[in-house]
Amino acid sequence: NKKNCSGTSHFSKWVTCPFKGRHGLALLHMSVFSQSFSPCGRFLAAANNYGEIALFSLSSALSPDATELSQKPILTFTAHEGPVFCLLSTDSQLLSAGNGEISAWSWAELIKKVMGRGKILSSCLMTLLLVSLCCLSQDNSLIVGGGDNNIHVMDLEQGNFKSVLHGHTDYIHCLSIREREGEILSGGEDGAVRIWDCRTGQSVHCIEVYKYESCARPQYGKWISCLTTDSDWMLCGGGPSLSLWHLRSLSPTSIFSLPGCQRQATFYQDMILTVGEGPCVSHCLLGGDVKAQIPCTPQSLNTLALNTNSTEHRVLTVGGSSDHIDVFTNLSYRAFSLSF
Amino acid sequence: MSPSLFNFVDAKDKFTASARNALCGKTSKPLINAFNQIPGNETEKKTTLDQALRGVLGDQIVEQKASCDDYLSLIYLSIDAVTEGICSATTPFLLLGDVLDCLPLDQCDRIFSFVEENVSTWKSNSFYTAGKNYLLRMCNDLLRRLSKSQNTVFCGRIQLFLARLFPLSEKSGLNLQSQFNLDNITVFNKNEQESTLGQKHIEEKEDGMEVEEGEMGEEDTPAPCSIPIDYNLYRKFWTLQDYFRNPVQCYDKFSWMTFLKYSDETLAVFKSYKLDDMQASKRKLEELRTSGGEHVYFAKFLTSEKLMDLQLSDSNFRRHILLQYLILFQYLKGQVKFKSSSCVLNDDQTTWIEETTKLVYQLLREIPPDGDKFATMVEHILNTEENWNAWKNEGCPSFVKERTIDDKPKRPTRKRQAPEDFLGKGPDRKIFMGNDELTRLWNLNQDNMEACKSDSREFMPSLDEFFAEAIEQADPANMVEDEYKAVRNSNYGWRALRLLSRRSPHFFQPTNQKFKSLADYLDSMVSKLAKELPKDIPSEEIKTGEEDDDDNGDNLLKESNDSPSMQSKLVTNQQMDDVAVKLGAQWKTLAEQLEMKAADLREIETDSEEVDMQAKLLLVAWQDREGAQATVENLVTALNAAGFSQIADSLSEA
Repeated sequence: NKKNCSGTSHFSKWVTCPFKGRHGLALLHMSVFSQSFSPCGRFLAAANNYGEIALFSLSSALSPDATELSQKPILTFTAHEGPVFCLLSTDSQLLSAGNGEISAWSWAELIKKVMGRGKILSSCLMTLLLVSLCCLSQDNSLIVGGGDNNIHVMDLEQGNFKSVLHGHTDYIHCLSIREREGEILSGGEDGAVRIWDCRTGQSVHCIEVYKYESCARPQYGKWISCLTTDSDWMLCGGGPSLSLWHLRSLSPTSIFSLPGCQRQATFYQDMILTVGEGPCVSHCLLGGDVKAQIPCTPQSLNTLALNTNSTEHRVLTVGGSSDHIDVFTNLSYRAFSLSF
Repeated sequence: MSPSLFNFVDAKDKFTASARNALCGKTSKPLINAFNQIPGNETEKKTTLDQALRGVLGDQIVEQKASCDDYLSLIYLSIDAVTEGICSATTPFLLLGDVLDCLPLDQCDRIFSFVEENVSTWKSNSFYTAGKNYLLRMCNDLLRRLSKSQNTVFCGRIQLFLARLFPLSEKSGLNLQSQFNLDNITVFNKNEQESTLGQKHIEEKEDGMEVEEGEMGEEDTPAPCSIPIDYNLYRKFWTLQDYFRNPVQCYDKFSWMTFLKYSDETLAVFKSYKLDDMQASKRKLEELRTSGGEHVYFAKFLTSEKLMDLQLSDSNFRRHILLQYLILFQYLKGQVKFKSSSCVLNDDQTTWIEETTKLVYQLLREIPPDGDKFATMVEHILNTEENWNAWKNEGCPSFVKERTIDDKPKRPTRKRQAPEDFLGKGPDRKIFMGNDELTRLWNLNQDNMEACKSDSREFMPSLDEFFAEAIEQADPANMVEDEYKAVRNSNYGWRALRLLSRRSPHFFQPTNQKFKSLADYLDSMVSKLAKELPKDIPSEEIKTGEEDDDDNGDNLLKESNDSPSMQSKLVTNQQMDDVAVKLGAQWKTLAEQLEMKAADLREIETDSEEVDMQAKLLLVAWQDREGAQATVENLVTALNAAGFSQIADSLSEA
């Protein structure tokens, strides 16, 4: 559970460390919580539990004359005081959320290896609460799932919060958007997946996944830690097994029997890629079969990202409880690793 | 009249004409006739015919009007000529070589089919020794002209033909020194600046090694690489090919470390990247086919980095690489005669090889389709290779077994275990002969040689013993007559000679004296011995011995007496005739005396009616019956007893 790895302020001593990277013990205890690719697709931003964001150049790491240095960040800076649980890229900005703050960084400046001045988008509203995830929508609004059990919708241009969605009884873990239907899906600690209508702000459906016998794993709990949608389909998992749901009928069609809790899943072509507890990326078929499990460096994975912004740098990157981020050029084996 | 001289030009022209004739008529008769008609000796005519045939072929080629069939009929003609004995055995091969050298490859194909079909002809006695080198050279020339990737089938046919033509142990077909094809270098992009990204036009100029199948349909302007490429794996993967090309490198420490590292990485990728979707592999294989739809064979690996992903997902490609590993390991571990003594693996290397072999087999089993079957088959084939390796280490002996002289199958005899105390192996070392008496006798002395040497077997008398009585007789004081002397006894004489040769040196002394008889010689010997031997032999002893000897001697002397008396002579035919005449009808009286049987008498009577003849028959019958005793003396006695004293007297006087 990500919550247990939350950073506390006494790590801030190392935040001001003059050395470019971290050493020894700090590296051992590092966890990567989130990743995001630049709009051009040539850079990867990754954030860890120390509140740092590192920027990696994919083009140099993938080039024929790559060296070990190419696998190191071109820029590392501290974004927040605590762990950065979420990163999100817009057309021009990198948004990071951590420790009650949401900051926006300019990609253009980051690429020039300049930290720039991160604009803090929100502050006092959630200082005390843990901001877990954010998600972007077409009309330039940012959906934020908060530790106060509510979903907040913020207008990025204006910088203010437009609305609040109430419904969950515990804090929100994950968010997803169905653009076409204008729906927001949220999963939380309370074990419920709620489907919200953007315009009305009402919860249209509520699926309590743990109540379905086929998916339920009471030994792990009922919380939903990963959620993703693809038109009519939804993947959700966490305490219960990862399952594929048909949204029109709101019923589970396939259950994936993977050990441990899945933390992030995505659809890819006719497969499902998922990471979670365990040192591997699981490839699953829509029917429910686990096709392959590709070994990775970190012992447990938190984040999985596919670079759809560029074809020549279309790689899969995964990060977890390690300072290494594994890069896959071919989904079936680990090519190399980037490291903080 | 002297034989006409052989005119080369003339003969050649005649042969050329008759060869053309023969080709038209599709028979070799004109050629044979021409051969017989032309004067000259065999060798001259043969070589001329060879030249003529080659000339005809040359003309055919130059005219360029002939087709393959024409060339082939000429070659058939030459084969017939060899069979008829008018042409040298090498000519068909020379003609074949000429034809193949002068024709383009597609026509060579047809000519080669002809060569293939007639392999039994080439292997026959008259052709084989003459032609095998020519055929080998011809095939090698053809192979040099052909490209392994473009004309794969043709190359294969030539190799198969050579394999059928030569015996297995033919040295020219064997890699006796166990050398590696060091020229088989796999080229890939090591140098970053020469990356093939965006340089498609250069690739096309290369020898077909890097045919970009995956980019069919793209235009001239090189497109940037559309997929991310794992250069790290790419380079390490293809570097491994160098170790497969030259395995001896593995014995060097630093090369080995690199090989180890790269292999571990590559095999980790294979392990992680499991092929379980047969459909996906098939799809990708389809992409590799040319637009023409034919399956293209690549003699070398395609090493473009863009193909790496596709290759990794292809079952056959993986099988290739994994098999390369197994073959390499077999070489490194195996005993090869031509490996230098420094090529030995240390323990770590051996352990790593064993572990990796297990991993490789496991990976092979996981490759669909039929991974298990494939792995088992590979293991079996590699085991068989051990036999071939051993065969090579022995210098590739021939497989033809020599006929053994003894063709009779031997019946295996079952040996029975002898009882323990048999034949002296028991505790008291007695030999049991099966019966008590024999056992006693045999065990008197078990060693035959020793038994023979014992003194009790010494039967040869000493000189004094044997010659004692002869010496005594030689003494004139004893007054023994010549004819009663022991030395006259031939038996005694022979024994005396033997004894002298064993015991007396006088025997060996050369002498000028000429002896008329053995007895005379012995006399002289005896006198010599008498002088030497001690004189204290008691004479009484000798005397008794002497008498005995005399008696014996007389008995034996009877038959070989020098001057036998008349009466002891056998009756002659003439004598019998005389007696028969005188007897006449009174022969029956004599028959009683002669003790003839009644049956015999009756027979005589029936045999003849004349009394003279009957009497003669009687005497003949008597002679037959008596044999050696049919002496005059006996007949005289019988005649006297029968009362025919007159006849007896006349007989004894004759």
